[in-house]
Amino acid sequence: MFSRRFDLGVKIGGAIVGTVALCVFAVGYFGVRNDVLDVGYRPEQPVPFSHKLHAGELQMSCQYCHTGVEASAHSPVPSTQTCMNCHTVVKAESPKLKLIRESYETGKPIEWVRIHKVPDYAHFNHSRHIRAQIDCKSCHGPIEQMGVVSQVKPLTMGWCLDCHRNPDSRIVGARPISGIFTGALHSIDKLMKDSAFLYEPIPAQVTESMPLTEPAYGQWATALPAHQVDGIPHPKKAGFGPENCSACHY
Amino acid sequence: MNPSKRKFPVFTAIAGLAGAVFIVLVLAGKITWFSTEPPLEFNPNMDHQFKAIPQSGNTFFSDRKSVREPVEGTVARGQDVYPLQQGDLDQAEVLNVNPGVPRTDFVLARGQNRFNVFCSPCHNYNGQGESKVTTRGQWAGIPNLMRDETKALSDARLYHIISAGQNLMPSYADKIKPIDRWAIVYYLRSMQGIEGTASAPVAGADTTTNGN
Repeated sequence: MFSRRFDLGVKIGGAIVGTVALCVFAVGYFGVRNDVLDVGYRPEQPVPFSHKLHAGELQMSCQYCHTGVEASAHSPVPSTQTCMNCHTVVKAESPKLKLIRESYETGKPIEWVRIHKVPDYAHFNHSRHIRAQIDCKSCHGPIEQMGVVSQVKPLTMGWCLDCHRNPDSRIVGARPISGIFTGALHSIDKLMKDSAFLYEPIPAQVTESMPLTEPAYGQWATALPAHQVDGIPHPKKAGFGPENCSACHY
Repeated sequence: MNPSKRKFPVFTAIAGLAGAVFIVLVLAGKITWFSTEPPLEFNPNMDHQFKAIPQSGNTFFSDRKSVREPVEGTVARGQDVYPLQQGDLDQAEVLNVNPGVPRTDFVLARGQNRFNVFCSPCHNYNGQGESKVTTRGQWAGIPNLMRDETKALSDARLYHIISAGQNLMPSYADKIKPIDRWAIVYYLRSMQGIEGTASAPVAGADTTTNGN
């Protein structure tokens, strides 16, 4: 009925359209996911700060700069003053630190590029997870090995819930380098001589868990156990996380 | 062309197969594709709301800071301001009174935790200096906290040094809460192996500059 030429054209055209449609479907279905799109986001920062040098080689604790992470929802990026605690002396003339020195003189903050971000309608509280002795590495990866920090976990709701439901297999326990307070005393000899000790999770010390409900401002609903002290954050045991919507979406 | 001479394109096939495997692995999230560009958002609905997110900048304010400076002359609720300057040594002996922090294992553990975070970069984990930071940089004279001069300082004076700084050391009042400073003092005393004194035995006896 149709000419041979037309028949061939339909066949080839169909093959091309089909392949393109399959590719579009594959990229759309498999590629438009946060573990493909968001993971590997490695922006260039205004100052080439290396976590590998500071946290890896110099063994500075995460909390030296990210102070306040155990008390607030937001893990703060350090102020310029924190950089200048050391860099008034160390590498004081380095051209890489020009922006830091300018910021210190003018008081204008450095605009670090944010990497890890959950949508504004989801509330992630750092302090709660730090109190449960969940190491930074659980969500941020081995930062102390990264010269330039990139996102390594998808930070999707499904990924959050995976861990809330199966914490034991996913949580990395608190490591000494993170500065997470576990209530345990470490051997000074070990800290001095065994560098690997700093980067290994230590078993959780606390066996009882504090109640999840927040007491009214300024007063604790339950009396503190005798060995704990008011004003010092008491670590709690990491257990199952909440799964109700309003735990994060409020 | 003679069909018997046509070879199977081995290299093209391998390259094509490798490319296909690579694409599949990237799409499956098994290979991380690094990018300096912000991730694509296919449904940015309410992801970015017009509200003040800490440290994220805000166009509502003319200086674009979402974290606001406190109004001049005010103190935020729960904020502790250390009132003394580095030189006010005599006042420090009077003002810095331990609020009754118990000397328990829990507090000592807290002291060690805070010491390891904030003090060990310079003073090292054992308090004797020569840390990874100070042996690398051009630091002059990080004092050994285990020597007799430091042992002789009162608890109040150690608290003062942490809060106001001394010589090269900056103030850590904004980073370490008062109760944690007392915990650090306890931990330092336990490392030194002494009890420590609440305030200097002879007031004004050691008001010259300390350290090296």
